[in-house]
Amino acid sequence: MEKREIYTTAYMARLSLNEDEADKLEKAISRMLEYFEKMKEIDVTNLEPTTHALLKNNKLRPDITAENTDTGAILDNAPELEDRFIVTPNVL
Amino acid sequence: MTNWKGITSNDTEYERWKREVSELDEEIKSFIQFDPDLGRKLTDSGRTGREGMLEGIPFAVKDNIAVKSFKLTCGSEILKEFTSTYNATAVEKLIAEGAFVAGKTNLDEFGMGSSTENSAFFNTRNPWNLAVVPGGSSGGSAASVAAGMVPFALGSDTGGSVRQPASFCGVYGLKPTYGSVSRYGLVAYASSLEVIGILAREIDTLERVFETIKGEDVMDQSSLSPDSGESGKEKSGKENRKKTIGIPEELENVDIDSEIRKSMEESLVNFRKSGFDIRKIRIPTLEYVVSAYYVIATAEASANLARFDGIRYGYRDFSAENPEELMLLSREKGFGEEVKLRILLGTYVLRSGFQEQYYIRAQKIRTAIRNDFSRAFKDVDLIMMPVYPRLPFEFENSEMDPFSQKLADIFTCTANLTGLPALSFPISLSSGLPIGMQLMAPPFEERRILEAARLYGNIFPVPIPSRHLGSPIGKGE
Repeated sequence: MEKREIYTTAYMARLSLNEDEADKLEKAISRMLEYFEKMKEIDVTNLEPTTHALLKNNKLRPDITAENTDTGAILDNAPELEDRFIVTPNVL
Repeated sequence: MTNWKGITSNDTEYERWKREVSELDEEIKSFIQFDPDLGRKLTDSGRTGREGMLEGIPFAVKDNIAVKSFKLTCGSEILKEFTSTYNATAVEKLIAEGAFVAGKTNLDEFGMGSSTENSAFFNTRNPWNLAVVPGGSSGGSAASVAAGMVPFALGSDTGGSVRQPASFCGVYGLKPTYGSVSRYGLVAYASSLEVIGILAREIDTLERVFETIKGEDVMDQSSLSPDSGESGKEKSGKENRKKTIGIPEELENVDIDSEIRKSMEESLVNFRKSGFDIRKIRIPTLEYVVSAYYVIATAEASANLARFDGIRYGYRDFSAENPEELMLLSREKGFGEEVKLRILLGTYVLRSGFQEQYYIRAQKIRTAIRNDFSRAFKDVDLIMMPVYPRLPFEFENSEMDPFSQKLADIFTCTANLTGLPALSFPISLSSGLPIGMQLMAPPFEERRILEAARLYGNIFPVPIPSRHLGSPIGKGE
């Protein structure tokens, strides 16, 4: 993997990295990607991809209202609140 | 487990247990939050009145599983201050049977690791030897059970995170069939692979807890019952014949510690003596499981961990001047190194242009692995492998760097890729450290595994480390 690729990928994942971190992670990721090359050895023609080991059809539950968790308690976990609104830095 | 019953009915005993756990845990450090009073309050308010199957029994919960009013840190800076507003379904079901939460246990950040050294907070030590890791990622749960602080604990198993620490600490660790236990309330890391599992010192306890927490759940669309799944086909008629254990031939090609190989051979002799047939089987895809596993696990992790944005909950960097910077900086400071590595690797393998080469290919290999196991289970009832190719290792062991730790997931992650149930059980001690083996069975055949392990427990009873609380009731009488 080329060095600039780590920054492109990091931006896609919305992670900022300092230079030391980028160096270290680039090495670790390259090592894993090199290891993944092993997957090329195996013939995968006629194999369907498995997304879930054991998953049946979509399951739907009845569309009826139910008591859920307390919204006040959920909001208590927000880093910054104004009344019942979550505050962020200015968007514009 | 009978020894634990009644711990809540005698105030003196209860207070003594709390004090002794706190004292012992100063060395072991298995708990991120130990608060049995809060757990009892939660159970008292969630009861229906009838006597439960697990009345008055304390248990520990890995800190990536939601317990109302308790922390839910996931071993991460990003959730250090987070408090759960609800109970995971598994926890809810245990509470309904009268059990109470003793506390939340340490883990590798978001379940990513094999030594609990990736916790953002502190290291948990192995009760067998304080210089040795407890395994991971459910290291705190394993250590708390091994040290006798609680009779059982919940963990999560994405690639071996219940079985490997259970093996390192010398207790039982069950990874149930994928979907058999609801994941509602388990903080998602790799949704198609993971399941809530159980760590316990006694097989009967483990079984009773599994019977309690399993079952379909409207809150988890991937949850399954055997009736709607694949089991049931091959049940009748086979019960009384000799059971067969399959051993993959491919184990010959894996670098396994000689002590572990020796113990495995001994355990095979013991199983033979107990009436099992042992047969060689073939799992040709074994050498590809680690690659396929890490492509899929990191891809899913990169998507699941996108929710941590510093806006709605979790750590926020207040120096940010706009929402995008807020997200970039909060994630930079909130996540640890291993988590960043897996997010980046997962993002990379999902990038357009690379998907076919990595993610899709890994999913096809996953199909080949499932086919290998389905074929093998036509000839055998159980498959046995070591849990881990290495003995429990010391902290910051240079031979077990993060890359080597990943390669060592080879035996455990097969069960996650295939969805099959698997149990880690102790088979011997080597230089004072436990060695575990792993038994796997077809989907929903947990009972088959537990029966074999119960039988083995008569040959090699679960060992007790010197750092152990003993039975909390009636001690010293």
